[in-house]
Amino acid sequence: MEFLSTNILLSSSFIDWVVNINPSLFSMGESLKAIITRFPTFWKAGLITLQLTSAGILFGLLIGLLFGLMRVSEIKFMRYPAKAYIFLIRGTPLLLQLFIIYYGITSIITIRSFPSAVIALGIHNGAYIAEIFRGAIQSIDKGQMEAARSLGMSKTKAMERIIMPQAFKRAIPSLGNQFIIALKDSSLASTITISELLLRARQIGNTHFILMEMLIVVAIWYLILTSLFTYLIHRLEVHFKTS
Amino acid sequence: MILLENIKKNFGKLKVLKGVDLKVDEGEVVVIIGPSGSGKSTLLRCINFLETAEKGSRISIDGKVIHRQKNDINMLRRNVGMVFQHFNLFPHMTVLQNVMEGPTQVLHMKKDKARKQGIELLEKVGLADKHNAYPQMLSGGQKQRVAIARALSMNPQIMLFDEPTSALDPELVGEVIEVMADLAREGMTMIVVTHEMWFAKEAADRVCVMDDGLIIEEGTPEQIFDSPTTERAQQFLQKIVVG
Repeated sequence: MEFLSTNILLSSSFIDWVVNINPSLFSMGESLKAIITRFPTFWKAGLITLQLTSAGILFGLLIGLLFGLMRVSEIKFMRYPAKAYIFLIRGTPLLLQLFIIYYGITSIITIRSFPSAVIALGIHNGAYIAEIFRGAIQSIDKGQMEAARSLGMSKTKAMERIIMPQAFKRAIPSLGNQFIIALKDSSLASTITISELLLRARQIGNTHFILMEMLIVVAIWYLILTSLFTYLIHRLEVHFKTS
Repeated sequence: MILLENIKKNFGKLKVLKGVDLKVDEGEVVVIIGPSGSGKSTLLRCINFLETAEKGSRISIDGKVIHRQKNDINMLRRNVGMVFQHFNLFPHMTVLQNVMEGPTQVLHMKKDKARKQGIELLEKVGLADKHNAYPQMLSGGQKQRVAIARALSMNPQIMLFDEPTSALDPELVGEVIEVMADLAREGMTMIVVTHEMWFAKEAADRVCVMDDGLIIEEGTPEQIFDSPTTERAQQFLQKIVVG
């Protein structure tokens, strides 16, 4: 009963439990040197992150387009599976989906780590991209479909020629946002032994006792890659605005 | 040429059309007027199946009853041009592309032929010099004239106009009405929902007054405007002539 009367939050043992300050291992100069000299060695890992993200996004776009179109369909047999897919994928963590694909279904089929990560990123982003397309399609004025139909176009033709070109344009900013999220989410692939940026940082950082420095290095790498994505999406937006 | 029998349409519990009969002969220009909510636009939209009329309604063209099947409806729409209140031009296409879209995509007309026809139609509505412009660069009156050219591009037997000047600034109404009057003079069969009395007086062969889902009075413009017989028609005409 006695310890309750002492202020537990101010006791030095509690502070020690929360943080452990260790000044002897910290040297500003050494750290900076490690950051600069090790920075270029991550280019290969950066490339793997980029490949993983690109493949994941491409796969996600295909799935997203398919399920987005199914989601806005008037036919129940199309709409409901799309709804279920989005419910399932958006409602569970990407890390869990990754584990299910890589570790979980090994009893049926073994998928190597890189394809596993691409599939996980694809189906995960596909659900979000489907919702982006749904929103974009539904934001197009109803009069567009009516005008197309009044010219005698079939519904499919009107979608292809009139609705989708406009919806694509409108979806670009949201898609760009999703692509950047996908890029950062690709770091979860480090958990299934893919030597992308984050895993490399931990490997090098742990072997040379410079973990903090290497985490900073990959932070800069991620910032460069996300900036690149932002720039490309911006260019795409400008291109579509003027065309 | 076009025969409407017992057209009924409900939106939920609301009975918008309560059994409209209307016969329009070839080359005839019929103007439909009436207070808002009387079902004018809905009637027009039922004619080319943008709204599906209730069972028991019959729409026939040249003696052939149009059934609620895809083929029938698409064939009907090719023969029936529609001009909307809000133009509904395709914003991602140039003026000329708007006018070529129907012929090339639905009638599979060759591109050069469709272009030639498109330019001719734009000349007809006085906008050939704007053929490379995008719709957002045009004034409301110009947009509506393009929309008329687009509807004409399918070489329709009948043109439907759904309040074509209601969304226009007053000074732009004239140019659109003029194009419509030209069409009427050329012998186009037209059904026009409008509040423009001088178009009705100048161009209409027959004026129908609608109220509460029914045609309550029809006759020549002189009969309707000078000596309406029903009390509702008198009240309505008084309002629009004064206002």
